[in-house]
Amino acid sequence: MRSKVESQQKSSWTSISNRKAPSPSVILRTSLLLTLTFVVLAPVTWFVLSSFKDLTDLSARPPKLFPTAWQFSNYTEAFKMYDYKKYFFNSVFVTVVATMLTLLINSMAAFAFAKYNFRGRDGLFVLTLAMIMIPLQVILIPIYLVVSSLGLVNTYWGMIIPAAATPTGVFVIRQYMLTIPDELIESARMDGAGEFRIYARIMLPLAKPALAVIAIFSILWRWNDFLWPLLIAQDERLYTLPVALALLNGQLVVPYNIVLAMSVMSIIPVLFIFVFMQRQIIQGIAHTGLK
Amino acid sequence: MKTSSTAANRRRRYWNWRRRLTPYLFLAPNLLIFVTFIIWPAIRGIYISFFDSIDGITFTYVGTGNYKAIFNDPTVASIAKNTATYVVFYMFFSTLLALVFALVLNEQRFLRGFFRAIIFLPVMLSPVVVGLIWNDVLDRKVGPLNTFLEALGGGSPGWLVEPPLGMLAAVFVGIWVHLGFYTIILLAGLQGIDRSLFEAAAIDGATRWQINKLIILPLLKPTTLIIVILSTIHGFQSFDFIYTLTGGGPLGATTLIVQYIYERAFQIPIQYGLGSAAGVILFLIIFAFTALNFVMGRKRDAV
Repeated sequence: MRSKVESQQKSSWTSISNRKAPSPSVILRTSLLLTLTFVVLAPVTWFVLSSFKDLTDLSARPPKLFPTAWQFSNYTEAFKMYDYKKYFFNSVFVTVVATMLTLLINSMAAFAFAKYNFRGRDGLFVLTLAMIMIPLQVILIPIYLVVSSLGLVNTYWGMIIPAAATPTGVFVIRQYMLTIPDELIESARMDGAGEFRIYARIMLPLAKPALAVIAIFSILWRWNDFLWPLLIAQDERLYTLPVALALLNGQLVVPYNIVLAMSVMSIIPVLFIFVFMQRQIIQGIAHTGLK
Repeated sequence: MKTSSTAANRRRRYWNWRRRLTPYLFLAPNLLIFVTFIIWPAIRGIYISFFDSIDGITFTYVGTGNYKAIFNDPTVASIAKNTATYVVFYMFFSTLLALVFALVLNEQRFLRGFFRAIIFLPVMLSPVVVGLIWNDVLDRKVGPLNTFLEALGGGSPGWLVEPPLGMLAAVFVGIWVHLGFYTIILLAGLQGIDRSLFEAAAIDGATRWQINKLIILPLLKPTTLIIVILSTIHGFQSFDFIYTLTGGGPLGATTLIVQYIYERAFQIPIQYGLGSAAGVILFLIIFAFTALNFVMGRKRDAV
C-alpha cells in the first residue's frame, strides 16, 4: 500500500521535475512514441526501398523488403523518359515565381494595413481575412469558368497568379510590421524618401523574419499543391509533379517502378527544407495556426 | 505673388492626393486577385447553381432544381453519407490522438525534438505522394501490411478493395497526414499553461492522471475546440491524398464531396450547375465552422 502511494507520488514528480523515471508511465509514453515513429517511418522507408526495385521484385509474393538488385536505373530512366524534367521544371518554376509574387503583393498589402490610416482600412482588412472562409474547393467550378474565360487555363500565369494573394500571408506580415516603429518611416519621409522607397528600403528589410516564414510556407504550399494545378494544367506540357504523379499512376503506360522513383525525388526538396527550417515551420504553425 | 501661392497650393493638393492614394495602390494587386479569383467566382457560383449547363457556355435556368436534385439523388446521398462518415471519424480520432500525443510530447524530455519532427513529417509530404505510399503499403497482395498480417495468421483484408475498409484506410491516412499539425497547435497551447499550476498540484500529492484530467485538459479546452473545428473543416475539404489512395473507390465508397464537385466539371456527366450547387452547400458548412472557430479564437484570446 505504502509503496504504491510512494510510486504514484514519484511519478507525478517526474512529469514536472525530470527526476529518475518510475516505470509504468514512462513505458506507456515510450511505447506510444515508438509506435508513432514506426507508423510514420515504416511506410516511407518501404516506399523509398521499393523505388529501387524492378518490376519483378515489385510484384513478388511475399514482397521483399530489400531489392534483389538495386535498380538505380529507375531514377535515371525517370529523367530520360516521360518528360520528368519538364514536370520538375514546371514545379520549380511555379513554386519560385509564385512565392516571389506572394511575398511582393502580400507585403505591399501588409504595409498598407500596418502603416497607413485610410478610409475603409478596417473593412478591407476584414475582407482580406474573410477570404479564408472561401477555400478553393467550394468555388471549384465557377473559378474554373472565370479562369478559362480569361484565357488562363493551360498557362503558367493561370497556375501562379490566382493563388498568389493569401490572407494568411498578409496577416502574418502585417502583424510583424506593426511592431516596426513609425518614427523610422517619419524620418525617412523628412529626408524626402518616396512611399515606395520607404516600403522597399526600410520595411522589407526589417520585416525579413515574417517574410521568411511566409516564403517557407508558400514554397511548401505550392510544391505540394494538387487541386489548383490539376484544374489549370489540362495540357501535359504544364503538369507539375503532383499532377503528373497522380495522373501517370492511373495510366498503365508508365511502369510503376518509374512512378515510384519520380515520387521519391519529388519529396526530397521538401525533406531538405524540413531538416533545415524545422524550427521556423513548427513555430510558425504554433504561433499563427498557419497551414 | 498670387500665382506662386496657387502653384504651391496646387502642389500641396497634389501631394495630399498622392499621399491619400498610396495605401490603395499598395493594396491593389492583392485585392484585385481576391476580387477576380475569389469574390467574383463565389458570386458567380451562387448564380450558376440555379442553372443547368453541360458546356459552361449555355445556361438553362432551373430554379432550385439543382438543390432539389442534391437532396433527392441517390448518388449524391451516398456522397453525403461518405463525407459525413469520413468527417466524423476523422475529426474524432484526429482530436483524440492529437491530445494524447501533445500530452506525451509535452512530458517527454529525451529526444523530444526528434519525436516532434517525426509526428510532423507527414504534414510536409505531398498528399499525392502520401496517397501513393499508402496505396503501396495497403496493397492486398504485395503490400507489406498484409504480408505481416498473413504471417500472424490474420488473413489478408482487401483494404482498398472492400468499401468499408476503403473508408477506414482513407480516414487512417487522413489522420496520418494531418496529426502532426494538430498536435503542434495543442502543444503550443499546453506550453502556454502556467507550469506552477502542475507543480502546486504535484506538491499537494496529485497523480499525473489527476493533473492531466483535472488541470491540463480543462485549461486546454479552448485549444481542443479549435482542433475539433479545424479538423472538421479539413475533413470536408479532403481530396488530394484520397485521389491517389483509392481514387474515390472501392465502388465509390471514398468519393467525398470535393471529388464530386471536381467530377461535375471534368467527368461525364458534366453538370456545372449541380457542381456549383454542391459547392454552395459545402461553403455554407465550412462557413458555419469557420465562424465558430473565429468566435472560439476570440474567446481564447480573452482568456
